[in-house]
Amino acid sequence: MKTGRRRLPLAWLGAVPFFLYALLFLFIPAASIIAGAFKDAKGHRTLSNIHQVFQSQYIDAFRTSIEISVVTALLGGAVGLAIAYAALREGTPRWIRSGMTTFSGVAANFGGIPLAFAFIATLGSVGIATQFIDNVFGVNIYNSPVNFAIWSKTGVEITYLYFQMPLMILVIAPAIDGLRREWREAASNLGASSWQYWRHVGLPILMPSILGAMILLFGNSFAAYATAYGLTSGAIPLVPIVIGNFYTGDVLSNPHLAQALAFGMFVVLGAMMLLYVPLQRRASRWSR
Amino acid sequence: MEDYEAQEQEFWAKLEESEFSRSSMLRRSAAAALGLTILGGAPSLAAAARRAGAAAPPLKGTAANMAALVAAAKKEGHLNVIALPPDWANYGEIISTFSKKYGIGITSDNPDGSSAQENQAIVSLKGDPRAPDVVDVGPSFAVSGTVQGLYGKYFNSNFATIPRAMKDTRGYWTGDYWGAISIGYNASLISTPPKSFADLLKPEYKNKVALNGSPLTSNSAVSGVFAAALANGGSLSNVAPGIDWFAKCKSVGNFIPVQTTPQTVASGQTPISIDWDYNNFAYVKEFPSAKWTVTIPSDGVYGGYYCQAINATAPHPNAARLWEEFLYSDQGQILFLKGYAHPARFTDMNGRKVIPKALINALPSGALYSKVKFASLGQITAAKATINTQWPAKMGA
Amino acid sequence: MRRKRIAPAAVIWLLVGAAYFFIPLIATLLFSLRKTSTGHCCSLAAYGYIVHDPQFWSTLRLSFQLALETIAISLVLFVPTVYWVHLRLPRLRPVLAFLALIPFVVPPIVLVVGLLDFYKGSPQWYYGSPYGFLATAYVILAFPYMFFSLDAGFRAIDVHTLTEASQSLGASWWTTMFRVILPNIRVAALGGAFLTLAIVMGEFTMASLAAFHTFPTFIQYVNETKAYPAAAVSLMSFGITWLAMLALLMVGRGRPGRVQIAGGH
Repeated sequence: MKTGRRRLPLAWLGAVPFFLYALLFLFIPAASIIAGAFKDAKGHRTLSNIHQVFQSQYIDAFRTSIEISVVTALLGGAVGLAIAYAALREGTPRWIRSGMTTFSGVAANFGGIPLAFAFIATLGSVGIATQFIDNVFGVNIYNSPVNFAIWSKTGVEITYLYFQMPLMILVIAPAIDGLRREWREAASNLGASSWQYWRHVGLPILMPSILGAMILLFGNSFAAYATAYGLTSGAIPLVPIVIGNFYTGDVLSNPHLAQALAFGMFVVLGAMMLLYVPLQRRASRWSR
Repeated sequence: MEDYEAQEQEFWAKLEESEFSRSSMLRRSAAAALGLTILGGAPSLAAAARRAGAAAPPLKGTAANMAALVAAAKKEGHLNVIALPPDWANYGEIISTFSKKYGIGITSDNPDGSSAQENQAIVSLKGDPRAPDVVDVGPSFAVSGTVQGLYGKYFNSNFATIPRAMKDTRGYWTGDYWGAISIGYNASLISTPPKSFADLLKPEYKNKVALNGSPLTSNSAVSGVFAAALANGGSLSNVAPGIDWFAKCKSVGNFIPVQTTPQTVASGQTPISIDWDYNNFAYVKEFPSAKWTVTIPSDGVYGGYYCQAINATAPHPNAARLWEEFLYSDQGQILFLKGYAHPARFTDMNGRKVIPKALINALPSGALYSKVKFASLGQITAAKATINTQWPAKMGA
Repeated sequence: MRRKRIAPAAVIWLLVGAAYFFIPLIATLLFSLRKTSTGHCCSLAAYGYIVHDPQFWSTLRLSFQLALETIAISLVLFVPTVYWVHLRLPRLRPVLAFLALIPFVVPPIVLVVGLLDFYKGSPQWYYGSPYGFLATAYVILAFPYMFFSLDAGFRAIDVHTLTEASQSLGASWWTTMFRVILPNIRVAALGGAFLTLAIVMGEFTMASLAAFHTFPTFIQYVNETKAYPAAAVSLMSFGITWLAMLALLMVGRGRPGRVQIAGGH
């Protein structure tokens, strides 16, 4: 196959349409945000916005956002993987697969006030699950010792799983499809248990996709806004909510501080990406 | 010094304290930040011709030129309003009554928009036939809108009987209705009715007290903090005790951060809501099963009003003025009262005994309202700054 | 083919999943069936209210059309790109993966403001039309999901072997793409398309700020003003989107005899 030097420029041409689109509709707005983060109200260059980001209330927002995102990415990823595999493996009827895939597609985008209210109606102080547990087990989860509240960090995490797990299912499904049936059969023929299959065959092969998917889940959770707001009215400080406050509130707005916060989000996700690359390279030793 | 001059001075003083310059403020609002921002292109030829052809609208409404105003408005044939939820102060009925009375169709855009978005819509939709003709904004936005030149002057026929504190004497905006912060509660879930802020700290209200949003973004919630401050040793200039009260309410387990919505009221998730009286009253009618009851807290009565203004570059200026005439007529003001919002001309109309007795009886006793206090623009701005710094710290997770 | 029984572990996980996902929906359903007068079951008045609202139909239609348009643009743009990257430009893959995270990092609220500002002077047919401005923005939102789906799909097949085999048999690029590659990444592409449909049917922030009346803005409005119809419309939106996806699935699976040279079951 000819791979002379002359081919290379042509090959790069194939990527041009995409990059052009990305430039017009992604890079430029993103760049204007980064530029804006370093400007003050008069348009001069300044680091004061960045400096303000380090105030405790904003640092708290970042800490909480990261915490919730990590928890829901790991939990959502793990449980999502388990459910996806359960539905896609051999022996499971076909209709379960279609039903789950399509359901996940919808659930992955079910958010905002409808989702918040669905969970308030379930696990709120007068929710059906709360009342069921109270009636059947005699335990009111809103009192001690449980002291649960749907508007707490835990409540937000539980609610977030509603779109995190489906996202995991959707993204990992093609990869699970790539796990050949023959490998599982071969492993069990050699006497491997289920756990051993996963540890030595299944997980290593899936790992790059799993990692990629978890990063996606992290980012998805990190940027989520409407659901947490519906549950807590912003009582739990999350970075997108704080940014949104600047734009939609009746307070005097400071878009440059908002852009500095958005820049902070960039930094966090950039750091995640830096984690991802070496992990990915290590994990992909096992793929073809 | 005129009221508006004092107000403007306070406004600019506060702005300077927060390190914004006048020019950047004007520039920033001119840059499409938020709200109904889409069309910046040149106006369509039709709209331009229409505006050029229309005679200049009258500056003062008088009985004499009312007929001409109505005719001109009907000729324009349409009115654009913004951020008017149908169940807020009975705007639903006001809109349909106006529409039917004059045969002028009304487009009601972005019903849940904030005051900030209303002003920005004027800027970003300038020249577009979809721009809002009239706005209904909070006082600080009325002042900032005037300063930015967004509004046109108009003295409706009843301008004189609007209280001085509720209007811009140059004619740029007028207060249309006011309400007081109230406590609404679900009588089927709450056995002991709360009557004051002090009551709400009692243990029987565990996990039951909610606000209409967060004071960082919602005007109603900011007003709730004002009311709590008045009830706890604070004042219009010092809202910190109000924030402390909410922190206390949260620490005893009564306050929940869930925003009050029709759903949470109907489902019983927020059995007690601190909100404007006209909002709480709307729930009474809407959810008979919740037996929603409204009372004004006895220890802190805070009032707030909203302001009508006409877009300086309104696509339908005559219809806009006719709308104001309608709102400030006895008929319009009574419609506000039907929504349990106190119309601006309440005192005048009450004196002339033109308010139906049934409506007067439907409101909570006048005695409860007698202590009502309204904050000045400067006080509101200062309070928001305090809330911005103290609320996350004291109430954060 | 030996018909295997469903594994017990699978049953457990599927039941756990079903419980978690369906109970909140049931809670919403029960709420939507309440009567306004008593606050208890049962009445379909909430659904009637929604169905008789003309805004429901007009916004639903708009969102659907937007979704189809976004899917079309996304597939046309991303499938060849990801294919090409896997085939010829593997070094570009991490770059793309990184770029795919940017739409996540930039909160929609900030992205839409950036877009509105930058494109303010553009012609009306683009800037003032949801099929122009909003669709192009949605393609960006769909990009991460599309990319990771397609990427996983391409990774699961042997792109080089397929392409070489196809070309050595004399097929042109078109034929290779449509008759060899596409059928093999059908699952991945469908997954991406599903997600895009759901994104568009659920995206609120950008549509609301850019003043377009899409279905999610209608849902939000009902949620802020009504109680029982809000629950009703949330469920209807869920159901409608799910049905649309099943339809997409049927269309995607419609053609018999899936070509599968490598990979798969």
